[in-house]
Amino acid sequence: MNHYQLIIHVDDKQVVLERILQVTRYRGFLINGIEAKVNTGTHIGTIKLQISSDRPIELLIDQINKLIDIKDVSVDNNAVAPT
Amino acid sequence: MTNDKQHTGGSLLFDVMQQHGVTDIFGYPGGAIMPIYDALYDSDVNHFLCRHEQGAAFSAVGYARASGKVGVCLATSGPGATNLITGLADALADSIPVVAITGQVPTVAMGSDAFQEIDIFGLSLACTKHSFQVTNINELEKVLHQAFAIALEGRQGPVLVDIPKDVQLAHVESTHPKVTRLKNKVNLPPANVGSAIAMLSKAKKPVIYVGGGVGMANAVDELRAFIETTNMPSVSTLKGLGAIDPDHEHYLGMLGMHGTKAANLAVQQCDLLIAVGARFDDRVTGKLAKFAPHAKVIHFDIDTAEIDKRRKADAAILGDLKVNLPALAIPLAIKEWQQHCQQMKNDFAWRYDHPGDAIFAPAVLKEISEKMPKNTCVTTDVGQHQMWSAQHMAFNDPSNFLSSGGMGTMGFGLPAAIGAQVSRPHDCIIAVSGDGSLMMNVQELSTIKRFQLPVKIVLIDNAKLGMVRQWQDLFFNGRLSETDLSDNPDFLMLAQAFDIKAKQVHHKDQVSAAIDEMFNHDGAYLLHVKIDAKENVWPLVPPETANDKMMENS
Repeated sequence: MNHYQLIIHVDDKQVVLERILQVTRYRGFLINGIEAKVNTGTHIGTIKLQISSDRPIELLIDQINKLIDIKDVSVDNNAVAPT
Repeated sequence: MTNDKQHTGGSLLFDVMQQHGVTDIFGYPGGAIMPIYDALYDSDVNHFLCRHEQGAAFSAVGYARASGKVGVCLATSGPGATNLITGLADALADSIPVVAITGQVPTVAMGSDAFQEIDIFGLSLACTKHSFQVTNINELEKVLHQAFAIALEGRQGPVLVDIPKDVQLAHVESTHPKVTRLKNKVNLPPANVGSAIAMLSKAKKPVIYVGGGVGMANAVDELRAFIETTNMPSVSTLKGLGAIDPDHEHYLGMLGMHGTKAANLAVQQCDLLIAVGARFDDRVTGKLAKFAPHAKVIHFDIDTAEIDKRRKADAAILGDLKVNLPALAIPLAIKEWQQHCQQMKNDFAWRYDHPGDAIFAPAVLKEISEKMPKNTCVTTDVGQHQMWSAQHMAFNDPSNFLSSGGMGTMGFGLPAAIGAQVSRPHDCIIAVSGDGSLMMNVQELSTIKRFQLPVKIVLIDNAKLGMVRQWQDLFFNGRLSETDLSDNPDFLMLAQAFDIKAKQVHHKDQVSAAIDEMFNHDGAYLLHVKIDAKENVWPLVPPETANDKMMENS
């Protein structure tokens, strides 16, 4: 099982967090933790998602990137993987 | 209707539809969508009343697939909205542009478990490309424009817009919003054309594997030019049928679970597989680890997420097929491979010398295919008749063969044929169905009657859920659990109840005259074809098996 932290920037739109969580679960990733906040000035949200799976992370990144309200997705290589 | 008049939410919806060229929609009214149906009363948009919201959704899908335009369906809140779900899931799986409009209970009642309230916005997340819920009338116009844009752009798909009743009733003036494209931020990497050309030049045994993306990219001409130039053997998925000229000498037919032996063997033997608008679906690949085991892969697609999803691509070419396909069209020196594939095509050609008097469904479908007028559009349901149609009928364009591919939805064929007939009133439309599938949306015979649609229905009847029965016989020790349909209704009487001319055939010698009668009849017609319940679809690649290990009729 590989552990990752994704950093996702989103437009502050309806149910964008639900969409990300649905895609993450459906594509075979376990959600271990989440932080989400919105910059009320820019209306851009930042979501940090701690996830784990045996599947390649690139497959999930591609699927999240397809969601309409996503600005960008990246893997936080500095995040400490759970032991 | 002018753009600058004072609108209600309902009338604004039809105004925006007309700006997007929508002329025909499919739906079913109910309490929470009554203001929209009231606005429809004054609209020039043609509404086709279906007899179930699932029928409306599939008709919208059929309309979109047959015409290349966006299909539109309407339903009320609660059960009306949930009844759309299967059609939207089907559209998502097959990447079909549909806009679904649902009524919702008034905003003050939302979240209170009100009568006919369901969170369709939440339900839509897993079965649409995108969805909206409009709780502010001032957002409605912009959202509706965005819905039509999203349905069509990139990889196409269904979009749902949920509109509460008070928003439908609210007054607003059109602001002619500048529509910001809500396109996702995927940046397509540069096409790996140089690497792909190098692979193509070295290949001794290339095959092109064509999927539904070719038709959706409107790239049939570019594909055919590519095949003409390279002259490489070609195979098609279920959704790709019609993209390749069916008469091309190096076309080997459909690949996969019920593909031709020549197509499957060629793919298993090839040293280069060029996937074009195809996604390595499990029904295509069989056991994935053993699919095309000797091949490098060049993958053309519009969707970044399809690259490397199931099969690693040695070169990925993302973007518009119309632009990218010609870049790889180079002549190839592969005569020996062509001859080998040609030999397999000849050696494993379909046989129609079926013994006895009982009707052989593949021969019926082949005869219909040979006799059907030019540009006929065929829809199917799901099951044995679907695979026989794919195997034994020939299509000259992907928009002339509409079958539920990804979702495999029984009940698709009849309402999809209705949508196709509405979009192409001057073309012949044939719904090939089975006795199990037809009964799943049989209420749509009433839509055919109401609008006097001349849909031809070819019902392949074995009084069984035939494909499930086949698998029970082959893989479940013949334990025929719940697949007997011998208590089907009298289909001739059923057709007559909807003023549809019908004929039953149960011997081979009755078939040709009945097919002629069907095509010569001006209106709707049901050709009821009784077949032996024990007939199987061959060949068959068993689950989790390599495609060259197919079972054949013995």
